[in-house]
Amino acid sequence: MTEMIQEILKEYNAKMKLSLKVCAHCSLCAESCFMFIKNNKNPIYMPSYKFINSIGKIYKKKGNVDLKMLEDMKPIIWKNCVLCTRCYCPLGIDIPSMISLARTICRMSGVYPQYNEIY
Amino acid sequence: MEHINSIYVLVYNLVRGPLVWISSIIFIVGTIYQIWQMLLLTKINTRPIIKVFDKQYNETHEKNKEESCFSSLKRTICGIHPIMIVVTTLFHILLIIIPLTLLAHNILLENAVGFSLFSFSEKISDILTVLFLVSSFFFFIRRIFLKRVRIISTFYDYFIWFLATAPFLTGFLAYHHIFNYRIIITLHIFLGELMLVAIPFTKFSHMIFFFVFRFIVVNEYSFRKHQVIRTW
Repeated sequence: MTEMIQEILKEYNAKMKLSLKVCAHCSLCAESCFMFIKNNKNPIYMPSYKFINSIGKIYKKKGNVDLKMLEDMKPIIWKNCVLCTRCYCPLGIDIPSMISLARTICRMSGVYPQYNEIY
Repeated sequence: MEHINSIYVLVYNLVRGPLVWISSIIFIVGTIYQIWQMLLLTKINTRPIIKVFDKQYNETHEKNKEESCFSSLKRTICGIHPIMIVVTTLFHILLIIIPLTLLAHNILLENAVGFSLFSFSEKISDILTVLFLVSSFFFFIRRIFLKRVRIISTFYDYFIWFLATAPFLTGFLAYHHIFNYRIIITLHIFLGELMLVAIPFTKFSHMIFFFVFRFIVVNEYSFRKHQVIRTW
């Protein structure tokens, strides 16, 4: 599994590394997410929080992630984000593509939401 | 005591001499390299840029354009966080303007290469520095007390904040001769050089990223939407 994840990380390394590097952690993207607005402005719904705690974590561990970690990530990238691509980064980071990449990694590792699943 | 003094002279000559040139070269070469890397990540846009020729749409669009500047800004991030936008704009403009227009810096530049840039009077630069320090303090407070910023903040963010603020703080202290001038001015030069070197390789590179990705690469939020030439 790790090798497979590392393969994907390698393919998208430059864009991912750059996006994570330049994110100023300013939280100005928050209001652009309707999930954030509709959930009483809970910070865990911020686009930056979601991308830092999904692909950011996978990148930090260089792909050495276990199933439990990916399972923990599942609600962040599937339940808390609907990938509507409306999030706005003042610097121009392509947040949806980063979350989409995290989804790809999870899906390829066999971690994805089931229809009858209750979070 | 004499021993300490000779070490100080050595360090002082090092930071005001070779280290200035080394850090400037690293900054310039590093910035060019980063721009090159960012352009390599993108490709020339071959997709057609869609312009709407619907008469009604265009009329409404024109009408919207006539809206006052402030009311259209209200719908953007400026309307949501007006204070933050004012402070952050001020902070970033001052970050670039203060070092370039400081009289003392320009005198050193004149002595070193024979030309200098426009300078503000020392009084104005002093006021601008205080404004910068206040806006920087605002960021610090925001990072500590606002939950949404705190939750994504790491030690690295505070370090980067320190690296951006410290050269200005030490410069202010040195100008007013607060604490030991010799130590503070050496520290000021060193921290300034450290910041220059850090710009292309750390989180500071958002300075380069912003201009490349908001002006050159096409996306929904890019400026100059109809003239952008590159895409991811």
